[in-house]
Amino acid sequence: MNIQDNYLKNKKNIFFSENKDIQSHREKLINIFENDRFDKKNNESLKNINLKNFIDFKYKYLIPEEKSVINNNEKNSYSIVSINGQCSSYKDDKIEITKILDEDYNDFSKNDIIENNDHFVNLNSLFLNSGFKIVIKKNNNIKIKISNIITDDDLTIFQKNNYICEEGSSLNLIEEYENRNNSTSNILNVIKLEKNSKLNHFLIQDNSPNHNLIITTHSSCKNDSTYTQKVYNFSEGYVRNFHYSELIEANSEADLQGIFFLKDNNTSNNKTFVKHLAEDCKSNQVYKGILNDRSKATYFSNTHVDQVAQRTEGYQLSKGVLLSDNASYFSKPELKIYADDVKCSHGSTIGPIDENAIFYLRSRGMSKIAATKILISSFINEELSSIDNEQMSEIINKKLVRYLSKVK
Amino acid sequence: MNSETLNTLDSYSKNKYKYGFVTEIDSEKPKKGLDEDTIRFISLKKNEPDWMLEWRLKAFSKWKKMKEPKWANLNFPEIDYQDIYYYSAPKGFDKKPKDLSEVDPKLIETYNKLGIPLEEQKVLAGVAVDVVFDSVSVATTYKGELEKLGIIFCSIGEAIQKHPDLIKKYLGSVIPAGDHSFSALNSAVFTDGSFVYIPEGVKCPMELSTYFRINAENTGQFERTLIIADKGSYVSYLEGCTAPKRDDNQLHAANVELIAFEDAEIKYSTVQNWYPGDEDGIGGIYNFVTKRGLCAGKNSKISWTQVETGSAITWKYPSCILKGDNSIGEFYSVAITNNFQQADTGTKMTHIGKNTKSKIISKGISLGKSQNTYRGEVSFLRKADKARNYTQCDSLLVGNQCGAHTVPYIDSKNNTAVIEHEASTSKINEDQLYYCRQRGLSHEEAVSLIVNGFCKQVLQELPMEFAVEAQKLVSISLEGSVG
Repeated sequence: MNIQDNYLKNKKNIFFSENKDIQSHREKLINIFENDRFDKKNNESLKNINLKNFIDFKYKYLIPEEKSVINNNEKNSYSIVSINGQCSSYKDDKIEITKILDEDYNDFSKNDIIENNDHFVNLNSLFLNSGFKIVIKKNNNIKIKISNIITDDDLTIFQKNNYICEEGSSLNLIEEYENRNNSTSNILNVIKLEKNSKLNHFLIQDNSPNHNLIITTHSSCKNDSTYTQKVYNFSEGYVRNFHYSELIEANSEADLQGIFFLKDNNTSNNKTFVKHLAEDCKSNQVYKGILNDRSKATYFSNTHVDQVAQRTEGYQLSKGVLLSDNASYFSKPELKIYADDVKCSHGSTIGPIDENAIFYLRSRGMSKIAATKILISSFINEELSSIDNEQMSEIINKKLVRYLSKVK
Repeated sequence: MNSETLNTLDSYSKNKYKYGFVTEIDSEKPKKGLDEDTIRFISLKKNEPDWMLEWRLKAFSKWKKMKEPKWANLNFPEIDYQDIYYYSAPKGFDKKPKDLSEVDPKLIETYNKLGIPLEEQKVLAGVAVDVVFDSVSVATTYKGELEKLGIIFCSIGEAIQKHPDLIKKYLGSVIPAGDHSFSALNSAVFTDGSFVYIPEGVKCPMELSTYFRINAENTGQFERTLIIADKGSYVSYLEGCTAPKRDDNQLHAANVELIAFEDAEIKYSTVQNWYPGDEDGIGGIYNFVTKRGLCAGKNSKISWTQVETGSAITWKYPSCILKGDNSIGEFYSVAITNNFQQADTGTKMTHIGKNTKSKIISKGISLGKSQNTYRGEVSFLRKADKARNYTQCDSLLVGNQCGAHTVPYIDSKNNTAVIEHEASTSKINEDQLYYCRQRGLSHEEAVSLIVNGFCKQVLQELPMEFAVEAQKLVSISLEGSVG
């Protein structure tokens, strides 16, 4: 079944389908799909994707209602188990969580900022069936851990989450995606950082081969706010990490980092896009990838510096290690600069593990595999050692050991 | 151009033209627009054999089905292909300026700054003084020398007549007519260009340049160049001239093909200084160039060097296909855009063979309201074991209304290949400026000095005399926009 048929069939079950504005907007989106069917040739971001999974989805669309669990076990620390993309409402003097249905449709229906050039975001706006909103209230320092669980096979989740960090607040957000069933998640996170707020966002992705994860974040930063994102992708299934960040007021910062570990026939598409729209902002984009077997990856990064964004500092780095003959990596680090007082740079390397380094270790009595493993660990050590959360670094180290055990 | 040749030119120019007659120039003009008749007309005018006409028509039928590539970061009105003359016969004398005083004084000023001798200025400006110097005989002297070595250097039209086997075999072998719409267009209507063949083991003793070729006038609009370097040979080819050239044709779509066999080396240098339009961005040349070199044999090498300062729109990606094992591809580029100019230029290195190496150095400078984009693709195919690439592209922004963009495409399918890419964008360092000004340089001189230093890595790849002129050209391009 194609997108159009799916839409017509499920029309009534999609969120906000009674609203006429939204309906007409969705008809427009449907038209885009009709005119520009996922054109792989002219759209690089569709490279290596098995589109069949996403265009002719035969998945179940109606999601079973399950009660999510919210725990406030420690002071200022919350753990949430979101089931099938849903979360029940919760409120105290520090945070407020709202189920998507209770909320004004305006917050959830409009994705204009990124829509139109991203088909998967369009799909999300078209088929929205779950999501929630979390508000961190003024001047609070909060930790939240969200485990995303999908209960049934063949489910298709189109989820949209809104995060708002109010003035002076600070949030440590850990999101876990560990699913073992045959389903697809298309998640859009929209993050708003008010003045002087801070968000540390960790995403740990570890899905089984038949789970597809498409995750898109859009963050916008106001005066003196900082958004830091770290993505760890250990998934055996397809993952698409597209992260957009807009620095809309002065002195704000965005830091987008990611590491992916691929093996077998797996593919992963990654993109980071930072828009500097105000003065004195800083950005950093670093992606590292390790590719084994027949895996494939793409990484697009883009720094856009607007004419008004003087004294910008923007850095990009992409590094890929190919462990096998059949792995392939495509990288496109792009700079678009319209202001003159800027410091921008990018670097990109792709290659094998340094033979001299292997020789050095082997001459000291190490086997080739052990040497390779040590060098892989050191390749990403900088990123791993910068994690200041003990629990997190333990989880990630375990996953890394698991990945390395498969390296031959 | 080296000083020896300048002297020769000088001495020839002092002699009066020996044969005091003027040939009536045929003022026949074909109609505007592009259809099969236009192509037949061109082919007939050039007295081409049937197989060439067929080749052109085939390309034309492909072009009809194609759309212009849209991915470049360029903004220009749609090109009306039916509003263009595709065959420009030499202009009649009555339309040419009679004296240098009738030539745009700005143009003369630039010539003087570049240090171009007066007589040469007349030729460049198209002054209709009989024949200023006998370029024909200068060229023939060189031609004799080249012929002794077995080097073929002639216009592509002549090559079609005299060396049909080589043309049939190699024309379109690197850039197929159906590659994209501009290559198809060029294949259908090309009128001029050079053909070079260097036989086995011959090192060409001098820099070949279109300047010394017969019929060198009216190169331009749809140029087609084919250079073949046979086993173990070497050739250095210069295209263009530092002097600004006015041209009535707005659309330029040249195709340049290079083929280097085993152990051969081709060095191709370009200085492009076409009319860029005025300060308000009106007029100017649209330059859509396809340049591609094939390193067909082992240990072959192709090196592109370009200095791009002209044209309202530059769309140009000199590329190398590194097919032979151990072959080397190099690309050095300086692109300067000013006022409303737009440049989208870069290279494409495709590594196919083992141990292939490529190096890319690109320097972009944007001033005024211009947009300057580097777009480069480096790809390692499965069998490119131990291939190596190094890319460096730096951009310099002068003023806050211009844009500098870097769009690299990096694709690796081989796990023994190593690829490195780095890029930076910044404005002119205040400390450096301060240092220069302290020592008595004016602001403009200081900027020009720093920019020249920024480009040095590329300029030093140019042949000696050319490099000196190119340096002056860089300074001239900066004029009026600094301060």
